[in-house]
Amino acid sequence: MSQAINLQETVFSVTVLNILSDDIEQVKSEINQHIKKNYSLFTGKSVVIEPKIELNDPVFLALLVEFLYQLEIIPVAIRTQNEKIKLQAEYAGLAVFSEAFDKTKIEDEKIFDQTLSIKTALIINNVRSGQHIYAKNRDLIVMGYVNPGAEVIADGNVHIYGKILGKVFAGASGLKQAKIFANNLNPEMLSIAGRYQLSGKINKNYKQCFVEVSLDSESSSIKYRKVLWDE
Amino acid sequence: MGRVIVVTSGKGGVGKTTTSASISVGLALKGYTVAVIDFDVGLRNLDLMMGCEKNIVHDFLNVAKNQASITQALIADKWVKNLYILASSQTGNKDDLTTQGVSKVIDALKKAGFDFIICDSPAGIEKGAKLALHYADEAIVITNPEITSVRDADRILGVIQDTSKRSKENKSPVLEHLVLTRYQPTKVKNGEMLAVDKIVTMLDIPLLGVVPEAEQVLSAINSGRPVILDKGTDVSEAYKDIVARLLGEDCQQRFLTEPKKGFFSRIFK
Ligand SMILES: Nc1ncnc2c1ncn2[C@@H]1O[C@H](COP(=O)(O)OP(=O)(O)OP(=O)(O)O)[C@@H](O)[C@H]1O
Ligand SMILES: [Mg+2]
Repeated sequence: MSQAINLQETVFSVTVLNILSDDIEQVKSEINQHIKKNYSLFTGKSVVIEPKIELNDPVFLALLVEFLYQLEIIPVAIRTQNEKIKLQAEYAGLAVFSEAFDKTKIEDEKIFDQTLSIKTALIINNVRSGQHIYAKNRDLIVMGYVNPGAEVIADGNVHIYGKILGKVFAGASGLKQAKIFANNLNPEMLSIAGRYQLSGKINKNYKQCFVEVSLDSESSSIKYRKVLWDE
Repeated sequence: MGRVIVVTSGKGGVGKTTTSASISVGLALKGYTVAVIDFDVGLRNLDLMMGCEKNIVHDFLNVAKNQASITQALIADKWVKNLYILASSQTGNKDDLTTQGVSKVIDALKKAGFDFIICDSPAGIEKGAKLALHYADEAIVITNPEITSVRDADRILGVIQDTSKRSKENKSPVLEHLVLTRYQPTKVKNGEMLAVDKIVTMLDIPLLGVVPEAEQVLSAINSGRPVILDKGTDVSEAYKDIVARLLGEDCQQRFLTEPKKGFFSRIFK
């Protein structure tokens, strides 16, 4: 029997679940085998589903999503260019990414992990489309813009003074207490400890003020708080 | 020391070669010695725009690959003195161009004492564009007033920050300049095109100049005569301003708004 799935770790504490077969039973049984082998690799985490084949069964994704939820795996999105699969994803309630999500594809990534005495990475410039900044094991401060198509990632908190128009990841290795601080929030996506929110879901009241983004400790959903200085 | 300036954009067809040709001529007219290099291996364009396509014996790739010397390959421009063109090869393979090859050419031009070395980049963010910007001290980023080209300009600015030799050696960063071409104030007014200030805010780099859209650009290209040589047109004036600003002169931005109606068109309205 040929392989039905394989798993791929990314920098964003998100695992990519590559689907190599459209036989749902085969996929389910291989996921079960993976969990038996290495429970923590998978469970309690968010995954991005990436079909490498055509999905001819119209309910395949819906069944898979249901199955993953039962296992406490949170499917957040699907990555595909295929229009049919995009439609299925809509029914299954998944966000669609069309861009690469793969660590190996990140060229010229800047990793800040040199001096242990410094706990913050400071970026004075704008972060531009196609650039990736990763503050490993530390907080990240960006003085400039995070432009559309740019990604800034930190294992700790992220503070951004300029406009946020790209993607921001705090707590990228799973730190649930990590926060994002923003002045002007209009991102393509925000993520804290693997939880995601796309731009359309953000209330516009939070877009033009100083705001703290964090994870709700009970529901683990992303929440926003306006920070007011003079009360 | 010679200034190495790359003219780049990310997106194709926005006016890189038109701009390279005109600023090279403009700088030479001011008395500086200028070499302009066509990095678009496999797609010759610059030589056509400069009207020197019949004079090519050796090209950029020949020099990069040690098949010809720089003095053999430089073509004297037919419009102005002090300007030399290093044409791209039409037959060569782009993969034949290497960092070492480019380094050899740039070093030779610097040693020859050129005041300006202008590198006309191919479109894209792949190897060819990266080679063109690798040795740059300065970058002129060309964009048109529409969102895809602005986005690509942002992208190429990131590539410059990440991959240029200056950034790899932790030297002072590549000096960035923005040139907005094919600007149509009337369309901007009607909301069909992005306004210049909006683009400058998005990209957040200094504006070197705005070149309006004009039909005579195409006819200039077809006649192999850089458009800056036209007399008294908005486009040639715009390129002259750009050259002046590159040389540190402080001249006010023009061509940002609709031209005022002339005397006759006012009378016959
Ligand atoms: N100011 C202008 N007004 C009108 N047309 C223009 C203007 N500038 C450039 N063009 C037109 O845009 C086209 C592309 O110009 P050009 O070849 O300089 O672009 P490029 O960026 O070098 O393209 P490539 O990416 O293919 O190298 C040409 O046909 C030219 O006539
Ligand atoms: Mg060109």
